[in-house]
Amino acid sequence: MWDVSENESIEIHIQELRRGTVVLACLRLLTRPGYGYGLLEELQSRGFDTDANTLYPLLRRLEKQGHLTSEWNTDEARPRKFYRTSDAGHRLAALLTDDLTRIAAAIDALPTED
Amino acid sequence: MNDTPTLTDRYIDAAMRAVPERQRADLAAELRASIADDIDTRIEAGEDDAAAERDVLTALGDPEKLAAGYTDRPLHLIGPKYFLDWKRLVVLLLWIVLPCAAFGVALGMTIAGEPVGGIIGTVAAVLVSAFVHVVFWTTLVFALVERYGEDDPKAAPPAWKLDDLPDPRPKGAGLPDMIATLVLLGLVTAAVLWDRFVGFVPGEPGLSFLDPGLWPAWIILLFVVIGLEAAVAVAVYAARRWTIPLAVANAVLNVVIVVPALWLLVEGRLLNAAFWPGVIADDPASAQTVAGVMAAIFGIGFAGIAVWDTIDAFLKARRRLVA
Repeated sequence: MWDVSENESIEIHIQELRRGTVVLACLRLLTRPGYGYGLLEELQSRGFDTDANTLYPLLRRLEKQGHLTSEWNTDEARPRKFYRTSDAGHRLAALLTDDLTRIAAAIDALPTED
Repeated sequence: MNDTPTLTDRYIDAAMRAVPERQRADLAAELRASIADDIDTRIEAGEDDAAAERDVLTALGDPEKLAAGYTDRPLHLIGPKYFLDWKRLVVLLLWIVLPCAAFGVALGMTIAGEPVGGIIGTVAAVLVSAFVHVVFWTTLVFALVERYGEDDPKAAPPAWKLDDLPDPRPKGAGLPDMIATLVLLGLVTAAVLWDRFVGFVPGEPGLSFLDPGLWPAWIILLFVVIGLEAAVAVAVYAARRWTIPLAVANAVLNVVIVVPALWLLVEGRLLNAAFWPGVIADDPASAQTVAGVMAAIFGIGFAGIAVWDTIDAFLKARRRLVA
Protein backbone atom coordinates (compact mmCIF):
# COMPACT_ATOMS: atom_id res chain seq x y z
CA MET A 1 0.00 0.00 0.00
CA TRP A 2 1.57 3.33 -1.03
CA ASP A 3 1.72 5.92 1.74
CA VAL A 4 0.20 9.35 1.22
CA SER A 5 3.40 11.24 0.48
CA GLU A 6 4.42 8.77 -2.22
CA ASN A 7 0.96 9.13 -3.75
CA GLU A 8 1.32 12.90 -3.76
CA SER A 9 4.72 12.84 -5.43
CA ILE A 10 3.35 10.42 -8.03
CA GLU A 11 0.42 12.80 -8.61
CA ILE A 12 2.83 15.68 -9.16
CA HIS A 13 4.89 13.75 -11.70
CA ILE A 14 1.78 12.70 -13.59
CA GLN A 15 0.53 16.28 -13.65
CA GLU A 16 3.91 17.43 -15.00
CA LEU A 17 3.70 14.89 -17.77
CA ARG A 18 0.15 15.86 -18.70
CA ARG A 19 0.46 19.62 -18.52
CA GLY A 20 1.78 20.18 -22.02
CA THR A 21 -0.48 17.60 -23.61
CA VAL A 22 -3.68 19.35 -22.51
CA VAL A 23 -2.56 22.43 -24.47
CA LEU A 24 -2.07 20.31 -27.57
CA ALA A 25 -5.44 18.61 -27.09
CA CYS A 26 -7.21 21.98 -26.79
CA LEU A 27 -5.59 23.38 -29.92
CA ARG A 28 -6.48 20.28 -31.91
CA LEU A 29 -10.06 20.02 -30.59
CA LEU A 30 -10.80 23.69 -31.08
CA THR A 31 -10.37 23.37 -34.83
CA ARG A 32 -14.12 23.25 -34.42
CA PRO A 33 -15.39 26.06 -32.14
CA GLY A 34 -15.95 25.04 -28.52
CA TYR A 35 -16.80 26.65 -25.19
CA GLY A 36 -15.45 26.23 -21.67
CA TYR A 37 -17.56 23.51 -20.12
CA GLY A 38 -18.21 21.67 -23.35
CA LEU A 39 -14.49 21.43 -24.02
CA LEU A 40 -13.89 20.21 -20.46
CA GLU A 41 -16.39 17.39 -20.95
CA GLU A 42 -14.92 16.42 -24.31
CA LEU A 43 -11.36 16.41 -22.96
CA GLN A 44 -12.40 14.19 -20.06
CA SER A 45 -14.28 11.78 -22.31
CA ARG A 46 -11.25 11.52 -24.59
CA GLY A 47 -8.98 10.69 -21.68
CA PHE A 48 -7.35 14.10 -21.07
CA ASP A 49 -7.96 14.38 -17.37
CA THR A 50 -8.02 18.05 -16.39
CA ASP A 51 -9.80 20.37 -13.95
CA ALA A 52 -12.05 23.33 -14.63
CA ASN A 53 -9.77 25.70 -12.69
CA THR A 54 -6.85 24.65 -14.90
CA LEU A 55 -8.67 24.68 -18.22
CA TYR A 56 -10.48 28.02 -18.05
CA PRO A 57 -7.37 30.11 -17.28
CA LEU A 58 -5.49 28.07 -19.90
CA LEU A 59 -8.00 29.05 -22.59
CA ARG A 60 -7.60 32.71 -21.63
CA ARG A 61 -3.83 32.43 -21.74
CA LEU A 62 -3.85 30.78 -25.16
CA GLU A 63 -6.15 33.51 -26.44
CA LYS A 64 -3.84 36.18 -25.05
CA GLN A 65 -0.90 34.50 -26.80
CA GLY A 66 -2.83 34.55 -30.06
CA HIS A 67 -3.27 30.81 -30.48
CA LEU A 68 -7.05 31.00 -30.02
CA THR A 69 -9.68 33.47 -31.12
CA SER A 70 -12.94 33.93 -29.30
CA GLU A 71 -16.41 35.34 -29.85
CA TRP A 72 -19.61 35.45 -27.89
CA ASN A 73 -22.45 33.32 -29.18
CA THR A 74 -25.87 34.70 -28.25
CA ASP A 75 -27.98 32.24 -30.25
CA GLU A 76 -29.13 30.26 -27.23
CA ALA A 77 -30.76 31.46 -24.02
CA ARG A 78 -27.42 31.24 -22.26
CA PRO A 79 -24.73 33.32 -24.05
CA ARG A 80 -21.46 31.41 -24.28
CA LYS A 81 -17.94 32.39 -25.27
CA PHE A 82 -16.73 30.19 -28.09
CA TYR A 83 -13.04 29.64 -28.81
CA ARG A 84 -11.45 28.40 -31.97
CA THR A 85 -7.88 27.75 -33.00
CA SER A 86 -6.19 30.53 -34.96
CA ASP A 87 -3.64 30.05 -37.72
CA ALA A 88 -0.83 30.54 -35.26
CA GLY A 89 -2.55 28.00 -33.03
CA HIS A 90 -2.65 25.46 -35.87
CA ARG A 91 1.06 25.93 -36.49
CA LEU A 92 1.76 25.45 -32.80
CA ALA A 93 -0.44 22.34 -32.72
CA ALA A 94 1.48 20.84 -35.64
CA LEU A 95 4.81 21.55 -33.91
CA LEU A 96 3.62 20.06 -30.63
CA THR A 97 2.22 16.98 -32.33
CA ASP A 98 5.49 16.37 -34.15
CA ASP A 99 7.45 16.81 -30.94
CA LEU A 100 5.16 14.48 -29.03
CA THR A 101 5.47 11.80 -31.71
CA ARG A 102 9.23 12.13 -31.62
CA ILE A 103 9.30 11.84 -27.84
CA ALA A 104 6.99 8.81 -27.86
CA ALA A 105 9.30 7.08 -30.35
CA ALA A 106 12.31 7.98 -28.23
CA ILE A 107 10.65 6.51 -25.15
CA ASP A 108 9.86 3.33 -27.06
CA ALA A 109 13.54 3.09 -27.94
CA LEU A 110 14.63 3.36 -24.30
CA PRO A 111 16.09 0.21 -22.80
CA THR A 112 13.59 -1.65 -20.63
CA GLU A 113 14.48 -3.16 -17.28
CA ASP A 114 15.47 -6.80 -17.73
CA MET B 1 -37.54 37.46 -7.20
CA ASN B 2 -34.99 36.40 -4.62
CA ASP B 3 -32.67 39.28 -3.71
CA THR B 4 -30.12 37.48 -1.56
CA PRO B 5 -27.07 36.57 -3.66
CA THR B 6 -26.68 32.90 -4.45
CA LEU B 7 -23.49 31.00 -3.77
CA THR B 8 -22.63 31.33 -7.43
CA ASP B 9 -23.08 35.10 -7.29
CA ARG B 10 -20.87 35.35 -4.26
CA TYR B 11 -18.22 33.14 -5.85
CA ILE B 12 -18.08 35.12 -9.07
CA ASP B 13 -18.04 38.33 -7.09
CA ALA B 14 -15.08 37.12 -5.01
CA ALA B 15 -13.17 36.03 -8.11
CA MET B 16 -13.80 39.26 -9.99
CA ARG B 17 -12.56 41.41 -7.13
CA ALA B 18 -9.03 40.31 -7.96
CA VAL B 19 -9.43 41.03 -11.67
CA PRO B 20 -8.83 44.41 -13.31
CA GLU B 21 -11.93 46.46 -14.14
CA ARG B 22 -11.90 46.14 -17.91
CA GLN B 23 -11.76 42.34 -17.95
CA ARG B 24 -14.44 41.85 -15.34
CA ALA B 25 -17.65 41.83 -17.39
CA ASP B 26 -16.31 39.35 -19.94
CA LEU B 27 -14.73 37.01 -17.39
CA ALA B 28 -17.76 37.11 -15.11
CA ALA B 29 -20.12 36.25 -17.92
CA GLU B 30 -17.99 33.38 -19.14
CA LEU B 31 -17.46 31.97 -15.66
CA ARG B 32 -21.18 32.22 -14.89
CA ALA B 33 -22.06 30.30 -18.04
CA SER B 34 -19.46 27.60 -17.30
CA ILE B 35 -20.71 27.16 -13.73
CA ALA B 36 -24.31 27.01 -14.89
CA ASP B 37 -23.48 24.40 -17.56
CA ASP B 38 -21.70 22.26 -14.98
CA ILE B 39 -24.63 22.51 -12.53
CA ASP B 40 -27.12 21.60 -15.28
CA THR B 41 -25.17 18.50 -16.21
CA ARG B 42 -25.09 17.34 -12.59
CA ILE B 43 -28.81 18.01 -12.09
CA GLU B 44 -29.55 15.95 -15.19
CA ALA B 45 -27.45 13.16 -13.70
CA GLY B 46 -29.76 13.22 -10.69
CA GLU B 47 -27.95 15.44 -8.21
CA ASP B 48 -29.88 17.78 -5.98
CA ASP B 49 -29.79 21.50 -6.99
CA ALA B 50 -28.05 22.87 -3.93
CA ALA B 51 -25.57 19.98 -3.74
CA ALA B 52 -24.69 20.40 -7.42
CA GLU B 53 -23.95 24.09 -6.92
CA ARG B 54 -21.78 23.37 -3.91
CA ASP B 55 -19.86 20.63 -5.70
CA VAL B 56 -19.15 22.76 -8.75
CA LEU B 57 -17.94 25.75 -6.75
CA THR B 58 -15.85 23.60 -4.42
CA ALA B 59 -14.19 21.95 -7.39
CA LEU B 60 -13.32 25.37 -8.80
CA GLY B 61 -11.43 26.17 -5.61
CA ASP B 62 -10.20 29.43 -4.12
CA PRO B 63 -11.72 32.22 -6.27
CA GLU B 64 -8.65 34.40 -5.83
CA LYS B 65 -6.44 31.60 -7.06
CA LEU B 66 -8.70 31.18 -10.09
CA ALA B 67 -8.54 34.92 -10.74
CA ALA B 68 -4.74 34.85 -10.50
CA GLY B 69 -4.75 32.14 -13.17
CA TYR B 70 -6.94 34.32 -15.39
CA THR B 71 -4.80 37.42 -15.00
CA ASP B 72 -1.39 35.71 -14.95
CA ARG B 73 -0.50 37.46 -11.73
CA PRO B 74 2.20 35.81 -9.60
CA LEU B 75 1.04 34.18 -6.37
CA HIS B 76 4.35 34.90 -4.68
CA LEU B 77 5.98 38.04 -3.27
CA ILE B 78 9.40 37.58 -4.84
CA GLY B 79 9.82 34.82 -7.39
CA PRO B 80 12.77 32.72 -8.51
CA LYS B 81 13.88 35.38 -10.99
CA TYR B 82 14.83 37.89 -8.31
CA PHE B 83 14.99 35.84 -5.12
CA LEU B 84 18.74 35.21 -4.99
CA ASP B 85 19.55 38.81 -5.80
CA TRP B 86 17.17 39.95 -3.08
CA LYS B 87 18.64 37.56 -0.55
CA ARG B 88 22.24 38.55 -1.31
CA LEU B 89 21.43 42.24 -1.18
CA VAL B 90 19.63 41.96 2.15
CA VAL B 91 22.51 40.02 3.71
CA LEU B 92 25.04 42.54 2.39
CA LEU B 93 23.06 45.53 3.62
CA LEU B 94 22.57 44.00 7.05
CA TRP B 95 26.30 43.33 7.40
CA ILE B 96 27.02 46.96 6.56
CA VAL B 97 24.19 48.82 8.26
CA LEU B 98 23.82 46.98 11.56
CA PRO B 99 27.43 47.19 12.78
CA CYS B 100 27.68 50.84 11.70
CA ALA B 101 24.44 51.71 13.47
CA ALA B 102 25.45 49.87 16.64
CA PHE B 103 28.91 51.40 16.72
CA GLY B 104 27.67 54.89 15.99
CA VAL B 105 24.95 54.84 18.60
CA ALA B 106 27.23 53.30 21.24
CA LEU B 107 29.98 55.81 20.57
CA GLY B 108 27.64 58.78 20.61
CA MET B 109 25.94 57.73 23.80
CA THR B 110 29.22 56.94 25.54
CA ILE B 111 30.62 60.36 24.73
CA ALA B 112 27.40 61.92 25.95
CA GLY B 113 27.96 60.09 29.22
CA GLU B 114 24.94 57.79 29.23
CA PRO B 115 24.93 54.83 31.66
CA VAL B 116 25.96 51.47 30.23
CA GLY B 117 22.56 49.88 30.75
CA GLY B 118 20.93 52.65 28.75
CA ILE B 119 23.48 52.28 25.98
CA ILE B 120 22.94 48.54 25.68
CA GLY B 121 19.17 48.97 25.67
CA THR B 122 19.24 51.67 23.02
CA VAL B 123 21.71 49.79 20.83
CA ALA B 124 19.48 46.71 20.97
CA ALA B 125 16.43 48.76 20.03
CA VAL B 126 18.33 50.49 17.21
CA LEU B 127 19.56 47.14 15.87
CA VAL B 128 16.04 45.72 15.78
CA SER B 129 14.68 48.83 14.13
CA ALA B 130 17.50 48.95 11.56
CA PHE B 131 17.01 45.26 10.75
CA VAL B 132 13.30 45.71 10.14
CA HIS B 133 13.84 48.78 7.97
CA VAL B 134 16.55 47.19 5.82
CA VAL B 135 14.52 44.04 5.23
CA PHE B 136 11.22 45.83 4.64
CA TRP B 137 12.35 48.45 2.15
CA THR B 138 14.52 46.02 0.18
CA THR B 139 11.67 43.51 0.02
CA LEU B 140 9.22 46.21 -1.01
CA VAL B 141 11.38 47.36 -3.90
CA PHE B 142 11.94 43.82 -5.12
CA ALA B 143 8.24 42.94 -4.80
CA LEU B 144 7.35 45.98 -6.92
CA VAL B 145 9.95 45.04 -9.53
CA GLU B 146 8.58 41.48 -9.56
CA ARG B 147 5.04 42.70 -10.18
CA TYR B 148 5.49 45.73 -12.38
CA GLY B 149 8.95 45.15 -13.80
CA GLU B 150 9.32 44.80 -17.52
CA ASP B 151 9.43 41.45 -19.22
CA ASP B 152 12.00 42.83 -21.60
CA PRO B 153 14.82 40.25 -21.83
CA LYS B 154 17.39 43.03 -22.13
CA ALA B 155 16.29 44.43 -18.78
CA ALA B 156 16.65 41.08 -17.00
CA PRO B 157 19.28 40.75 -14.27
CA PRO B 158 22.64 39.79 -15.87
CA ALA B 159 23.24 36.07 -16.18
CA TRP B 160 25.54 34.43 -13.68
CA LYS B 161 29.10 34.00 -14.88
CA LEU B 162 31.92 31.89 -13.50
CA ASP B 163 33.61 35.09 -12.29
CA ASP B 164 30.76 35.48 -9.82
CA LEU B 165 31.87 32.44 -7.84
CA PRO B 166 32.70 33.58 -4.29
CA ASP B 167 36.41 33.39 -3.51
CA PRO B 168 37.53 30.31 -1.59
CA ARG B 169 37.12 31.13 2.07
CA PRO B 170 40.35 31.14 4.02
CA LYS B 171 40.49 28.50 6.70
CA GLY B 172 42.55 30.76 8.89
CA ALA B 173 44.75 27.91 10.05
CA GLY B 174 47.76 28.15 7.80
CA LEU B 175 51.34 29.10 8.61
CA PRO B 176 50.89 32.77 7.66
CA ASP B 177 47.95 33.05 10.08
CA MET B 178 49.91 31.59 12.97
CA ILE B 179 52.95 33.74 12.27
CA ALA B 180 50.75 36.82 11.96
CA THR B 181 49.07 36.10 15.28
CA LEU B 182 52.37 35.45 17.06
CA VAL B 183 53.93 38.58 15.59
CA LEU B 184 50.91 40.62 16.62
CA LEU B 185 51.03 39.26 20.16
CA GLY B 186 54.73 39.98 20.26
CA LEU B 187 54.14 43.56 19.15
CA VAL B 188 51.45 44.03 21.81
CA THR B 189 53.84 42.76 24.48
CA ALA B 190 56.61 44.99 23.22
CA ALA B 191 54.28 47.98 23.02
CA VAL B 192 53.10 47.51 26.60
CA LEU B 193 56.69 47.26 27.83
CA TRP B 194 57.84 50.22 25.75
CA ASP B 195 54.91 52.24 26.98
CA ARG B 196 55.87 51.51 30.59
CA PHE B 197 59.56 52.06 30.42
CA VAL B 198 60.11 54.48 27.56
CA GLY B 199 56.81 56.11 26.68
CA PHE B 200 55.24 56.95 23.34
CA VAL B 201 55.29 60.70 23.60
CA PRO B 202 58.62 62.09 22.33
CA GLY B 203 58.68 65.19 24.49
CA GLU B 204 57.58 63.52 27.72
CA PRO B 205 59.68 60.51 28.64
CA GLY B 206 57.97 58.23 31.13
CA LEU B 207 54.44 59.44 30.34
CA SER B 208 52.68 56.14 29.75
CA PHE B 209 49.40 55.63 27.89
CA LEU B 210 48.32 52.87 30.27
CA ASP B 211 47.79 53.63 33.93
CA PRO B 212 51.03 53.07 35.90
CA GLY B 213 48.97 51.49 38.68
CA LEU B 214 48.44 48.47 36.41
CA TRP B 215 52.07 47.44 36.93
CA PRO B 216 52.97 44.75 37.86
CA ALA B 217 49.99 42.55 38.75
CA TRP B 218 47.60 43.33 35.90
CA ILE B 219 50.36 43.49 33.33
CA ILE B 220 51.63 40.07 34.37
CA LEU B 221 48.08 38.73 34.01
CA LEU B 222 47.95 40.31 30.55
CA PHE B 223 51.20 38.60 29.55
CA VAL B 224 49.88 35.27 30.79
CA VAL B 225 46.78 35.65 28.64
CA ILE B 226 48.91 36.68 25.68
CA GLY B 227 50.95 33.52 26.20
CA LEU B 228 47.76 31.46 26.17
CA GLU B 229 46.58 33.16 23.01
CA ALA B 230 49.90 32.30 21.38
CA ALA B 231 49.39 28.71 22.48
CA VAL B 232 45.94 28.69 20.86
CA ALA B 233 47.41 30.05 17.64
CA VAL B 234 50.02 27.29 17.58
CA ALA B 235 47.36 24.68 18.37
CA VAL B 236 45.23 25.89 15.45
CA TYR B 237 48.21 25.55 13.15
CA ALA B 238 49.00 22.09 14.48
CA ALA B 239 45.40 20.95 14.07
CA ARG B 240 45.35 22.47 10.56
CA ARG B 241 41.96 24.03 11.20
CA TRP B 242 39.87 25.79 13.81
CA THR B 243 37.91 23.30 15.87
CA ILE B 244 35.03 24.01 18.21
CA PRO B 245 37.11 23.41 21.36
CA LEU B 246 39.78 25.81 20.07
CA ALA B 247 37.12 28.36 19.20
CA VAL B 248 35.72 28.02 22.72
CA ALA B 249 39.21 28.49 24.19
CA ASN B 250 39.62 31.57 22.04
CA ALA B 251 36.28 32.91 23.22
CA VAL B 252 37.17 32.32 26.87
CA LEU B 253 40.50 34.11 26.46
CA ASN B 254 38.75 37.03 24.77
CA VAL B 255 36.35 37.30 27.68
CA VAL B 256 39.22 37.07 30.17
CA ILE B 257 40.93 40.02 28.48
CA VAL B 258 37.95 42.20 27.63
CA VAL B 259 35.85 42.01 30.78
CA PRO B 260 38.59 43.09 33.21
CA ALA B 261 39.84 45.66 30.71
CA LEU B 262 36.41 47.26 30.38
CA TRP B 263 35.93 47.16 34.13
CA LEU B 264 39.28 48.88 34.65
CA LEU B 265 38.39 51.38 31.95
CA VAL B 266 35.11 52.26 33.61
CA GLU B 267 36.89 52.57 36.97
CA GLY B 268 39.38 54.93 35.35
CA ARG B 269 42.28 52.66 36.15
CA LEU B 270 43.11 51.43 32.65
CA LEU B 271 44.33 54.56 30.92
CA ASN B 272 46.72 57.03 32.46
CA ALA B 273 44.70 60.08 33.50
CA ALA B 274 47.75 62.28 33.14
CA PHE B 275 48.39 61.21 29.55
CA TRP B 276 46.20 63.58 27.59
CA PRO B 277 46.78 66.60 29.80
CA GLY B 278 50.48 65.86 29.36
CA VAL B 279 50.18 65.73 25.58
CA ILE B 280 47.85 68.72 25.25
CA ALA B 281 49.71 70.81 27.79
CA ASP B 282 47.98 74.18 27.52
CA ASP B 283 44.28 73.27 27.43
CA PRO B 284 43.16 71.06 30.31
CA ALA B 285 39.46 71.28 29.42
CA SER B 286 39.85 69.97 25.89
CA ALA B 287 42.33 67.41 27.22
CA GLN B 288 39.53 66.11 29.43
CA THR B 289 37.17 65.86 26.45
CA VAL B 290 39.76 64.11 24.33
CA ALA B 291 40.51 61.73 27.18
CA GLY B 292 36.83 60.88 27.47
CA VAL B 293 36.37 60.38 23.73
CA MET B 294 39.53 58.30 23.37
CA ALA B 295 38.54 56.14 26.31
CA ALA B 296 35.13 55.56 24.75
CA ILE B 297 36.58 54.71 21.34
CA PHE B 298 39.17 52.47 22.93
CA GLY B 299 36.63 50.61 25.03
CA ILE B 300 34.05 50.11 22.29
CA GLY B 301 36.65 49.26 19.68
CA PHE B 302 38.30 46.78 22.01
CA ALA B 303 35.00 45.08 22.82
CA GLY B 304 33.98 45.10 19.18
CA ILE B 305 37.22 43.50 18.02
CA ALA B 306 36.94 40.84 20.73
CA VAL B 307 33.36 40.02 19.68
CA TRP B 308 34.30 39.87 16.01
CA ASP B 309 37.32 37.68 16.73
CA THR B 310 35.23 35.25 18.77
CA ILE B 311 32.52 34.97 16.13
CA ASP B 312 35.12 34.63 13.38
CA ALA B 313 36.80 31.72 15.16
CA PHE B 314 33.47 29.93 15.54
CA LEU B 315 32.58 30.53 11.90
CA LYS B 316 35.94 29.12 10.81
CA ALA B 317 35.47 26.13 13.09
CA ARG B 318 32.11 25.31 11.53
CA ARG B 319 33.26 25.55 7.94
CA ARG B 320 33.86 22.34 6.12
CA LEU B 321 35.98 23.63 3.31
CA VAL B 322 37.04 20.92 0.89
CA ALA B 323 40.83 21.04 0.91
